[in-house]
Amino acid sequence: MNRLYDSMEPRVIDDDMLKLAVGEQSSQEETGELAKQEGILFKDVLSLQLDFRNILHIDNLWQFENLRKLQLDNNVIEKIEGLENLTHLVWLDLSFNNIETIEGLDTLVNLEDLSLFNNRISNIDSLDALVKLQVLSLGNNQIDNMMNIIYLRQFRCLRMLSLSGNPISEVEDYKMFICAYLPDLVYLDFRRIDDHTKEVAEAKHHYSIEELKHRENLMQARLEEEQVRREELERHKTAFVEHLNGSFLFDSMYAEDSEGNKLSSLPGVSELLEVYPSKDKFVIICVNIFEYGLKQQEKWKTELDTFNECVHEAIQENQEQGKRKIAKFKEKHLMSLSAIREELEMPNIEKMILECSTDISELFDALMMLEMQLVEQLEETISMFERNIVNLVGLFIENVQSLMAQCRDLENHHHEKLLEISISTLEKAVKGDLDEDLSEDVRALFVDKDTIVNAVGASHDIHLLKIDNREDELVTRINSWCTRLVDKIHRDEIMRNRKRVKEISLYIDHMKSELDNLEYSDILD
Amino acid sequence: MEVLREKVEEEEEAEREEAAERAEWARTEKMMRPVEVRKQETTLTQETLGELEKQLSEIQIPVSAELPTFAKDTIDISALPVSYKTNTPKEEQLLQLADNFSRQYSHLCPDRVPLFLHPLNECEVPKFVSTTLRPTLMPYPELYNWDSCAQFVSDFLTMVPLPDPLKPPSHLYSSTTVLKYQKGNCFDFSTLLCSMLIGSGYDAYCVNGYGSQDLCHMDLTRDVCPLTVKPKETIKREEKALPKKYTIRPPRDLCSRFEQEQEMKRQQEIRAQEEKRLKEEEERLMEAEKANPDALHGLRVHCWVLVLSGKREVPENFFIDPFTARSYSTQDEHFLGIESLWNHKNYWINMQDCWNCCKDLIFDLGDPVRWEYMLLGTDKPELSLTEDDSGINDEDDVENLDKEDEDKSFDMPHSWVEQIEISPEAFETRCPNGKKVIQYKRAKLEKWAPYLNRNGLVSRLTTYEDLECTNILEIKEWYQNREDMLELKHINKTTDLKTDYFRPGHSQALRVHSYKSMQPEMDRVIEFYETARVDGLIKREETPRTMTEYYQGRSDFLSYRHADFRPRVKKLTLSSAESNPRPIVKITERFFRNPAKPAEEDVAERVFLVAEERIQLCYHCREDHIIASKREFLRLSEVDSKGNKIIMMPDMCITFEVEPTEHTKKLLYQYETLMHLKKEEKLSRHQVWESELEMLEILKLREEEEEVHTLTISIYDTKRNEKSKEYREAMERVMQEEHLQQVETQLDYLAPFLVQLPPGEKLTRWQAARLKDECLSDFKQRLINKANLIQARFEKETQELQKKQQWYQENQVTLTPEDEDLYLSYCSQAMFRIRILEQRLNRHKELAPLKYLALEEKLHKDPRLGELLKMFT
Repeated sequence: MNRLYDSMEPRVIDDDMLKLAVGEQSSQEETGELAKQEGILFKDVLSLQLDFRNILHIDNLWQFENLRKLQLDNNVIEKIEGLENLTHLVWLDLSFNNIETIEGLDTLVNLEDLSLFNNRISNIDSLDALVKLQVLSLGNNQIDNMMNIIYLRQFRCLRMLSLSGNPISEVEDYKMFICAYLPDLVYLDFRRIDDHTKEVAEAKHHYSIEELKHRENLMQARLEEEQVRREELERHKTAFVEHLNGSFLFDSMYAEDSEGNKLSSLPGVSELLEVYPSKDKFVIICVNIFEYGLKQQEKWKTELDTFNECVHEAIQENQEQGKRKIAKFKEKHLMSLSAIREELEMPNIEKMILECSTDISELFDALMMLEMQLVEQLEETISMFERNIVNLVGLFIENVQSLMAQCRDLENHHHEKLLEISISTLEKAVKGDLDEDLSEDVRALFVDKDTIVNAVGASHDIHLLKIDNREDELVTRINSWCTRLVDKIHRDEIMRNRKRVKEISLYIDHMKSELDNLEYSDILD
Repeated sequence: MEVLREKVEEEEEAEREEAAERAEWARTEKMMRPVEVRKQETTLTQETLGELEKQLSEIQIPVSAELPTFAKDTIDISALPVSYKTNTPKEEQLLQLADNFSRQYSHLCPDRVPLFLHPLNECEVPKFVSTTLRPTLMPYPELYNWDSCAQFVSDFLTMVPLPDPLKPPSHLYSSTTVLKYQKGNCFDFSTLLCSMLIGSGYDAYCVNGYGSQDLCHMDLTRDVCPLTVKPKETIKREEKALPKKYTIRPPRDLCSRFEQEQEMKRQQEIRAQEEKRLKEEEERLMEAEKANPDALHGLRVHCWVLVLSGKREVPENFFIDPFTARSYSTQDEHFLGIESLWNHKNYWINMQDCWNCCKDLIFDLGDPVRWEYMLLGTDKPELSLTEDDSGINDEDDVENLDKEDEDKSFDMPHSWVEQIEISPEAFETRCPNGKKVIQYKRAKLEKWAPYLNRNGLVSRLTTYEDLECTNILEIKEWYQNREDMLELKHINKTTDLKTDYFRPGHSQALRVHSYKSMQPEMDRVIEFYETARVDGLIKREETPRTMTEYYQGRSDFLSYRHADFRPRVKKLTLSSAESNPRPIVKITERFFRNPAKPAEEDVAERVFLVAEERIQLCYHCREDHIIASKREFLRLSEVDSKGNKIIMMPDMCITFEVEPTEHTKKLLYQYETLMHLKKEEKLSRHQVWESELEMLEILKLREEEEEVHTLTISIYDTKRNEKSKEYREAMERVMQEEHLQQVETQLDYLAPFLVQLPPGEKLTRWQAARLKDECLSDFKQRLINKANLIQARFEKETQELQKKQQWYQENQVTLTPEDEDLYLSYCSQAMFRIRILEQRLNRHKELAPLKYLALEEKLHKDPRLGELLKMFT
């Protein structure tokens, strides 16, 4: 509601405006001059002031990656937008604008100070991402619901809050309510909350707060539980044996099996399912797979750890050698450089420079030699590791497959029994002495032999398919994990090698150019 | 030896019957013994007389020009208690028993020397050796362990050689006398030490046997001083970790194995030759050092202490030589044989062969084949478990002894020696006159009592280059109680380097100061207690042209600063080092890694080349890199050749970055870094200057301290601490005055009556009675007077009150309220006064008779009257 500027043309942030603003705020001394000489990159700017510019639309700010402080007060902004890239922002001032809802702040996780004073906001929300928020200014808005205060309870760092000039500040209990529900708050409406007020407020709202706390605690506990469960599952997933520590697979086998469910109502079948310990056995096998998987995972992990440790040691050792070589070279090089500087005879100088450059190339050779040696050694080790891990994985797959085959056997066995019962029931049905209490759709199966055999077969197929699917999933996932791991190791090693070679050559180039410069200046002298 | 024991027993049984006969025999024995001894002596001297004399004269020369003697006639025996001068019947009995034992022994082993059983004490009374031991636990915690005990004995007493080196002495003095004169031979030393050790719970024995010449003469000149022996560095064998599964293979070795082997062989040969040469040299030296062989080897009598394992957590048996306080293993070659040993309970004779020194001896005293004991009863000391908890305290021990005595057939009588007492002064002074000198091989150790030397010197070790001790190699001086915390001063004479070591607490936090001269700006190294310093300085090294400082634990991670100086520019004015600091050429500073910064922004080393106006920066190396970034700033002048102001030019900064980044290329960044560095340079120069000043200050302080060398005195040291002494004396004075006052306040109730009598005369009975009566009647009168006085006051008050009441009743109508109030308050006050007077009177009436009786009682007890009155009544 800036009537003063209503007459002016609303503007949009553009390049010129930004350049002007950046230029204005740089200092006038030598540093400023230097900065001007070179030009300032937007991404180096740490604070930006864009107030009283009649801005309607926030835009073009994506370049200011490292911006810490942004002032956009006293404009005519209606919507918070275009701030997604300013993730380093600590201080954001949007006061005296026409904003109606809080939005577009979800990426500003570092924000500590947010001012939305004098806007048209009626509801506090969409602030969940701002976990570091310390100061929140929301005065002169249209907030009228006390429940907004409870929303602010989640900000543990919040120390200062201003809500004066809102409809809720007219409420009789306003101050007490806030003090009670936000006990960590230190300043309210720019005034310090004294301890006495705090005590009174707490006493007044004691019961409701206790209840709230209780609810919050319950929620917290539930969240934590969930977290623990998720982590557990995650751990099982990395071992590729999730959901195998119970009857999950078995249950899923029957979940989509309509025919089987129908058949289970046959007189003998339910006994079969109960008496015949297929389920128990099945679950035991599943649990076996599960435990085996976890054990194997431990094994892979220790294997990987030893490998990483050894590689790390090797690299460290190699680096130490390299550092020693460089240090030795440096000492010698410094001596010879100063000798060259003091030498007067031209031919002597040339000779010395030549010596120096041979030294440099010798260093290059030595360092490269070291690197090549390391590469060879690592290659050997890596291939050994690869072999071992592939073997381990292969063994695991084999064992799992044999266990799965046991499952299949059980299923086959079950199938045979079921078929037997079905046929005998069919015979009964043909004879007409079928039990009365069978449902209609079950009766429909016992029309002829083909139908019943097909139904039983379908159920069997579904079961087998489930088992196959689970097995396939396990095998593919573990294989892909293995390949990815090996690939990553190879890639990392290549990256390391590239980096080291680049480092060495850069250094050698630098030394050479330094020597050349010296030569050049000598000749000039 | 079963026979021997049976004989002893028989002897004991038949004791009473043969008493008369025995006494006679004892007398003859006493007369006979000297003859026997003389005979022994003659046989010995016949063999080696000439050599012996020569030897003796030779021996005495290197030890000391005049040997201290412990002549009997210098001992004052008048103050000694009765037990020293006579024998109790029990002791007599024991002596007879011992004589019998000795007789049987000489009968059975005619080829062995007579036993050392009951020498005479200082009062010419024969005393059994075991009773001369007086187990005493000393009240000093320092004397609880054997090593400190032995050290004390060896320090406290001056060694006197045996009158005859081949025989045990004829006299064995009590520890009381020995401590009093601070002199003694090896037997005295051992007796004292053994008493103290048994007192503090060790299983210790005095041993009479044969020692080497060095041992008997306390000659340490062939021993290396224990202080000069450097503790052997324990080489930690690093456990080589097993090669892990994926450890990389080492690069292929391309050297020829054969060549290496050949090289090795060659090296070995050279080494072998070298070793041989060294060995020969060593042997030659050894030869020179070795003394000419001792003609009396194996015949010199010595007495030392044996400590058996078991008690006080002693893991194995060992010997202590009481002269030097050193412990030896029981296999040591200095100890050539054992005749007998004893403690306060029993006496054992060694029945084992000593052909191989003491190496084959087994110290199982319960074994009657190896050790023949004298008294039954206490035969197996180490097998009786109940004794373990006794022996901690000598009183316990004595009690135990008494208890044991009841049920044993014969018992050792209680020691005739008084408890060993060492005064705190004597304990602190330790050595006779507080000074002691020990000569070691190529070393001399001098010891002083603390506070004896004004500068706190307590010991000095001088190390020599040669055996004759003429060329000093180095001197080490230990100090104590110095106010400047100086602990050790080490002077190396060859390099002239002096090193002072300080304990924590010096005002400048000094730890070590090594220097050649006290002049400033010379070669010196000072180490500091870095925790006591705010700036975390550990060490500062100075040479004429440089100064290096090492730091630790600073918040700016500085670890090292090195400054190079140019010689001082001569100024016309006379200037000291303070006002004219040397110009700095170069400052090098190194930093530890600051974990808060990324490695490529964390400076590892910066060099300010002040003269060349250059600054070199070297950054830390990143974890995965082998090369560190560097940056060099040149030409820091702010004005170029044409006089234009330049801010920053690209060629003013040479940069090498391992991973080039965008923003560091910017002139702005470089300029800001440069500005920052310029500021830092100024600061560093200031720091260097301040360090120089501090050095001057330290040197001044050290010089002052050396001159003053005041000693600190503990506040608990009541003798030396003047302040506390004064305070205590003042307190005492105040106490005394108070006491005097108290005495004065106790009035002499007889004085007024005594004055009437003629002074100095003794009271007669009549006079005393009269005095008493007078005193009592006077007191009675006083009591009556007092009662009357109170009565009078009481009456007066009542009268006044009555008058007032009357007045009130008369004028009641006309009175204003104020007057009424006044009247009422007066009334209540008067009533109060009257009540008090009444109470007083009553109390007086009650107490008066009691007081009267008390006085009478007192007079009865009065020393001046009491006697007379008692007779009177």
